Amino acid sequence: MNEFAVLAQLTVVAMVPYLLASLGTMLGGLAGVFSVSQEGVMLLGASVGFLVSYGTGSSTVGVLVAAGVGAVFGFALGWATTVLRLDQFVVGLALFFAATGLAGLLYRIVIGQTATTPLVDTLPRLDIPLLSDIPLLGIALFSHNLLVYLAALLAVGLWFFLYRTRAGLNLRSVGENPKAADSLGIPVVRTRLWTTAAGGALMGVAGAFLPLVYTGTFTEGIVGGRGWLAIALTFFGGWRPQFIVAGALFFATMDVVALRAEVSGIDIPSQVLLVIPYVATLVVMVFAFRWARVPEFLGRNYDRESRTG
Amino acid sequence: MTAPVLTEPDAAAPPAPSLAARVIRGVLPYVLALVLAFVVAGIVIAALGYDPVEAYRTIFTTSFKTNFGFTETLTKWVPLTLLALGFTIPLAVGRFNIGGEGQLLVGATAAAGVGIVYADLPAAVLLPMVILAGVLAGSVWAGIAALLMGRFHVNEILSTVLLNFVSFQVLDYAATEVWTDPAAGVAATRGVGEGAELPTLGGPPGVHAGLLLAVAVTLVTILVTRRTAAGFELRAAGTNPRAAGINGIRVERVAVFALIVGGALGGLAGALEVSGVHGRAIEGMQTNFLLLGIIIGLIARGSAVWVPVVAFGIAILEVGASSMQRTVGVPAEMVLIIEALILIFLLLSDVIAGRLARRVT
Repeated sequence: MNEFAVLAQLTVVAMVPYLLASLGTMLGGLAGVFSVSQEGVMLLGASVGFLVSYGTGSSTVGVLVAAGVGAVFGFALGWATTVLRLDQFVVGLALFFAATGLAGLLYRIVIGQTATTPLVDTLPRLDIPLLSDIPLLGIALFSHNLLVYLAALLAVGLWFFLYRTRAGLNLRSVGENPKAADSLGIPVVRTRLWTTAAGGALMGVAGAFLPLVYTGTFTEGIVGGRGWLAIALTFFGGWRPQFIVAGALFFATMDVVALRAEVSGIDIPSQVLLVIPYVATLVVMVFAFRWARVPEFLGRNYDRESRTG
Repeated sequence: MTAPVLTEPDAAAPPAPSLAARVIRGVLPYVLALVLAFVVAGIVIAALGYDPVEAYRTIFTTSFKTNFGFTETLTKWVPLTLLALGFTIPLAVGRFNIGGEGQLLVGATAAAGVGIVYADLPAAVLLPMVILAGVLAGSVWAGIAALLMGRFHVNEILSTVLLNFVSFQVLDYAATEVWTDPAAGVAATRGVGEGAELPTLGGPPGVHAGLLLAVAVTLVTILVTRRTAAGFELRAAGTNPRAAGINGIRVERVAVFALIVGGALGGLAGALEVSGVHGRAIEGMQTNFLLLGIIIGLIARGSAVWVPVVAFGIAILEVGASSMQRTVGVPAEMVLIIEALILIFLLLSDVIAGRLARRVT
């Protein structure tokens, strides 16, 4: 039974990078800007988060700087697609390349080639008093690092903001029908700018989570497709926080199952286990794209002077 | 009674753009983008304490100073051009093939498999089989994404990208379980038979004959996209899917077909890397071809005529990068930044050039 609690705890931890990156994608997407630079921004977040933590000795500073760098990339996407009205996919890809290159370059400049792997302390675990003493659930849910709790609060907060406040309704209207939103005096461009910047910040933190919680160091392959899976997850979750949380649980379970089966030495080639998350995602997407509700204006730029838009 | 007016009376065709406007739109963005990218990267290089002039001189001269450098550039040009075309052909229908990496790797795995299993066959039989195996594997790999897209409307960006991660494990399985070569030191398959290796042109050191095949593929792509009905349908489906659909072009089917062709080119690139360069399939052999292929396709604005030209420029940068790291000490990663900056500044310059061109017409 104890092993079950540990597995559940691992799954909750594995949910966080998916959840953060996907909520970031959702935030920009609900205002109509579709990002495809997650994989790159997460890698940059991982690199910067690790390097700053390594240099300053403070993982808090590392996470904050990673969020800032992610916000810059998110803002760049928002600016290029609203003010300049450039193609969202092309700009997203260009930023993905730039972030990927920058991540590797920064690590090379600061660390260089070393014989030993530089390490930072992983984030400390904070047990919530009383709640963490509950059998099974206590270990699974209430014995984590601070970022896990923050991610959970963020999901709930975003749900409340988007579906229970007027500002949230306004935000969603920008992604559904910007012309109508504009005619009601909702600032379309400003909304798109802050949502993409905030979304980018979340992707940066999602990246920083990987070295600061999992490995303690940065490697080129540390993101391993999680950024792309986060896009799939956002579609799968129908661009709504509550379903994205459920989807993140599914993705995290796949991760942990693959990892666990490999350790336990079942007689299946390790390669088969390692493709489980990707193949499962492909299969799930067949259904997700049927039922998922996508913001009407997703991926399209708004031109106030256009007759058709 | 007058006949109903179908067009607005004052709707005239827009005046043809003047020569100055066309030059501003066509040439200025590239000049601006190249200058800005190299200036910005030069400032960074200088800030890191290296000599930017020396770094750039190494980058640009390595390919032309020695036979070896030029050969290496041409050898790099082959997969870069093929992957860039594999990206731009589906792009013409508005679909993004981000799966070039996976298509290359399964193509390489299949080609190596055939080259190992039938190692004793003579080259006249084996070589076509090896290349065909790569092309087929690449098409099947892209075909999975094309099927998901055509039948279930699964976003092709996601499906092609996710298949990349599956392809890593396909190659890993082949290299560690099926045709493993423990002496290789890295995860790699055994060497292919002699009949599976492409002959070398010129030299020494010489370029593998796959170069001719890549040139032929490029020419065919240019001819087909510009001069045939299929190419017209491709462009029509991309520029205005609704109008194309009304006129009887089955847009979704064209898109599926374009994606499969893109995969075939990726598979071909993998087969040529096996039979022309490595003689086996090696993990990590794709390096950053995927990113570069997309960058090339976007800088060339999807034009099959410009892809080979841009690919040659990028190949020069890539070959120069490692030499720059050796002699000047600037990290080779800097070159990926330069390439991304060229693309970003090209997009921004388009906006500036568009505004300027409107002013001169």
